[in-house]
Amino acid sequence: MTVVHTLPSRPAAIRPGAISITDLTVSYDRVPAVHHLSGTFATGSLTAIVGPNGAGKSTLLNAIIGAIPADEGRIEITGIDRHRIGYLPQRADIDQTFPISVYDTVALGLWHETGMFRRVSADGRQRVHAALNALGLSGLDLRPIGHLSVGQFQRALFARLMLQDAGLILLDEPFAGLDTTTTADLMQQIADWHGEGRTIVAVLHDLAQVRQSFPDTLLLSKGRAIWGGSREVLTATNLSAAGYIVETVAVPAPALVAGARA
Amino acid sequence: MTLYHLLFEPFVAYGFLRRALLACLALSLGCGPIGVLLVLRRMSLMGDAMSHAILPGAAIAFLIAGLSLPAMSLGGLIAGLLVAMLAGAVSRATPLKEDASMAGFYLTSLALGVLIVSARGSNVDLLHVLFGSILSVDTPALLLVAAISAITLATLAVIYRPLIVECFDPGFLRAVGGHGPLFHGIFLGLVVLNLVAGFQSLGSLMAVGLMMLPATAARLWARDVLSLFWVASLIAFLSGYIGLLASYHLNLASGPAIIFTAGLAYVGSIVFGRNGGLVRTYFPPPHYHTTPAEHGR
Amino acid sequence: MRFDWVRIVGWIGAPQTTVPRPRLRFARNPTWSGASAVGLRANDGHGLSRTVWGALTQPTVLALLLIHPTLALAAPLKVVASFTILADMVRQVAGPHAEVIALVGPGGDTHTFDPSPADAGKLGGADLIVVNGLGLDGWMERLAKAADLKVPILTASVDVAPRQMTEAGQTVPDPHAWQDPRIGGMYLRAIALALKTADPAHATTFTDNTDRLTAALEALDQNARQQIAGVPASRRRIITSHDAFGYFGRAYGVSMLAPEGISTDQEPSAGAVARIIDQIRSQAIGTVFIENMANPRLIETIRTDTGATDGGTLYSDSLSPPDGPAPTYLAMLRYNISKLVAAMKGS
Repeated sequence: MTVVHTLPSRPAAIRPGAISITDLTVSYDRVPAVHHLSGTFATGSLTAIVGPNGAGKSTLLNAIIGAIPADEGRIEITGIDRHRIGYLPQRADIDQTFPISVYDTVALGLWHETGMFRRVSADGRQRVHAALNALGLSGLDLRPIGHLSVGQFQRALFARLMLQDAGLILLDEPFAGLDTTTTADLMQQIADWHGEGRTIVAVLHDLAQVRQSFPDTLLLSKGRAIWGGSREVLTATNLSAAGYIVETVAVPAPALVAGARA
Repeated sequence: MTLYHLLFEPFVAYGFLRRALLACLALSLGCGPIGVLLVLRRMSLMGDAMSHAILPGAAIAFLIAGLSLPAMSLGGLIAGLLVAMLAGAVSRATPLKEDASMAGFYLTSLALGVLIVSARGSNVDLLHVLFGSILSVDTPALLLVAAISAITLATLAVIYRPLIVECFDPGFLRAVGGHGPLFHGIFLGLVVLNLVAGFQSLGSLMAVGLMMLPATAARLWARDVLSLFWVASLIAFLSGYIGLLASYHLNLASGPAIIFTAGLAYVGSIVFGRNGGLVRTYFPPPHYHTTPAEHGR
Repeated sequence: MRFDWVRIVGWIGAPQTTVPRPRLRFARNPTWSGASAVGLRANDGHGLSRTVWGALTQPTVLALLLIHPTLALAAPLKVVASFTILADMVRQVAGPHAEVIALVGPGGDTHTFDPSPADAGKLGGADLIVVNGLGLDGWMERLAKAADLKVPILTASVDVAPRQMTEAGQTVPDPHAWQDPRIGGMYLRAIALALKTADPAHATTFTDNTDRLTAALEALDQNARQQIAGVPASRRRIITSHDAFGYFGRAYGVSMLAPEGISTDQEPSAGAVARIIDQIRSQAIGTVFIENMANPRLIETIRTDTGATDGGTLYSDSLSPPDGPAPTYLAMLRYNISKLVAAMKGS
């Protein structure tokens, strides 16, 4: 895989990244999961990746961060250092039984400052606690991550992302298994990041949420990829072609007309 | 029998017991953390597998250099490293998980070792020669174990953070650019180094036993990795100390006495451990009443 | 232990068995006067079955063979012994009339020997098998039984009343009887008897050799007693890592102290090692012996802690290689005794 760096052109506090994909083919377990994909995640965009299971969504994210090598094609990341990508793995890929505290897990978000060996500075410690408070986890910093509920653990991972201060954020199923309150809180956090100008890509399953909150969508299904604005992409035609079961709801005509006028 | 006579006098009077205790100390310091990491990575049976996997290396060294202990230890070390690396590589590149690929390699390695030894026609039990005993630790063996422990602790201090992250969140480590397989490889190297040094100076039962039993027991007392390290080391050293005393006063075989003491510590931890022991689970201490605001959300 | 001569005749025309047999021994002794008398040619290179059949159709030869079966056995006996000490004894008694091999070579461990199929082949070609018995080499008899061999087996210790020892918590007979020279004499007599039955033609040679050797053993025994008498009674103690000198100790009133017991696999307790150290220190024993195949590390430990010196190697369960100090049984006894007495005196 070729990853090309370009120097950032503006010295802003937030340096957002962009991803440009050219004719990408990636295999998972020796089966091609992403086929000849081409497209762009523009700077500052907020894109959802949707598709049925097995369509290659997680594989694409893994290829972008460099975990899986591409068979063909290029992924070009501009604007940021490849190692400053904020990546939220699927919760199943993290061993929650590991004996580590919430504080230590969240403090890993300061990796770009501490690297592998340096200690977290006093200022860094304060920022860790601030992040924990911002996500409603105050007081839980010494608890082992195994004692957290699903919602609390996801918040902790978001706190880590917050500390990473990344210009490009990749989220793999961030709301899987969460209740609506936590989902709303975390979605708000994503919206805040988007407002700060960061580029965000999220793999999601809830199409209603995508329609509501994500301006852009990449619809992946076996052999097909449709990029674009969410409304244009998530049509019944595209979805049923992608393998979703689409329900058509009959709405009385007067209500439709009334809605259109309003 | 005074307390002094019971607990201290044997070590004052006999050099071999002093050396044995020092060897236990050195081994505990090195093997405690390594054992904890093996348990956390679900590689608990690796020690036993490794005690068989080193045979072809020792056999080839025996063919070249005869019954030379340093040569055979070096050969065993190389064989052990090869098996560990190959097993790790195979588990990353194929659907086989680490335990299956390790089993495949160590069994093949053991069979190869037996073939080499029997082709030579000698009846010397190489593993018997290679494996020492805690009571016959001499100064070179003591220095070897101490050096290995020092190297282990120093290396772990350096690679601690990436190694831990690689254990529980390898995706994050990849994203921030850490070379996960490299640190895993270094860790495997430390494991093999500790095991081979332990075999040669103390025997396979003691080396593997002092590595795994205290680590599993420590899980029931400590909640974070660093605490697990020192609790495991402490349990290992106390098992050595009590085991040696039992071997002296009660006339028990030394290695098994130490490991059995560690086993008792393990059982005791299961029952009384503060972090998930049976007593705590079934007879929990009284709850404090907290306000809803103090409950984490 | 008798040979039946049906077997002798049967050899001549016997088909190949599964165990490869050597060529007929008739071919190996071209000086056999009987052979030249009846015109048998030796060493014609093709095996003698053709020639022998041709010869044996002559009634004279057949009659001679039936009347004097011993004429058929003038070639050296093939004897397989379990280990080098027994092999040497057989060699000494039989002289040139036997070819002897030992399955366990110098430095090998007879207790734990694991015979291979090649060893079974060697047994198959033998006329006599010699074992020690008393639990040392039970594998030999098991091997012979498994290979279904009809070779007679002599247990050299058949006349010996064994002493008992504890091994792994049990009381078992001590097999190392040959370390007592008088018992060595009994071994020799048993071996001589077996050889005479197998090869009566040379019985006088065997008897002469046995008498000579027994006299040498008695002289050695007297010499040993004299030497040990020169050691004060309180210092008649030996530390060695292998409990193979029990009979020696019993014969000469020497206490043998062994830290590991008979089995080299047993792991010692700290208490036992401490007691050995105490004993060495309190009795000022200055020399400690390492048996030539046990784990020497423990002995090193004891020596480091007591300051005792290394007495060198004692040959307990096997002879040394031919260029070593104990290539024969007598040489081994002499060597061991001189070392042990020196240790007792010098400590």
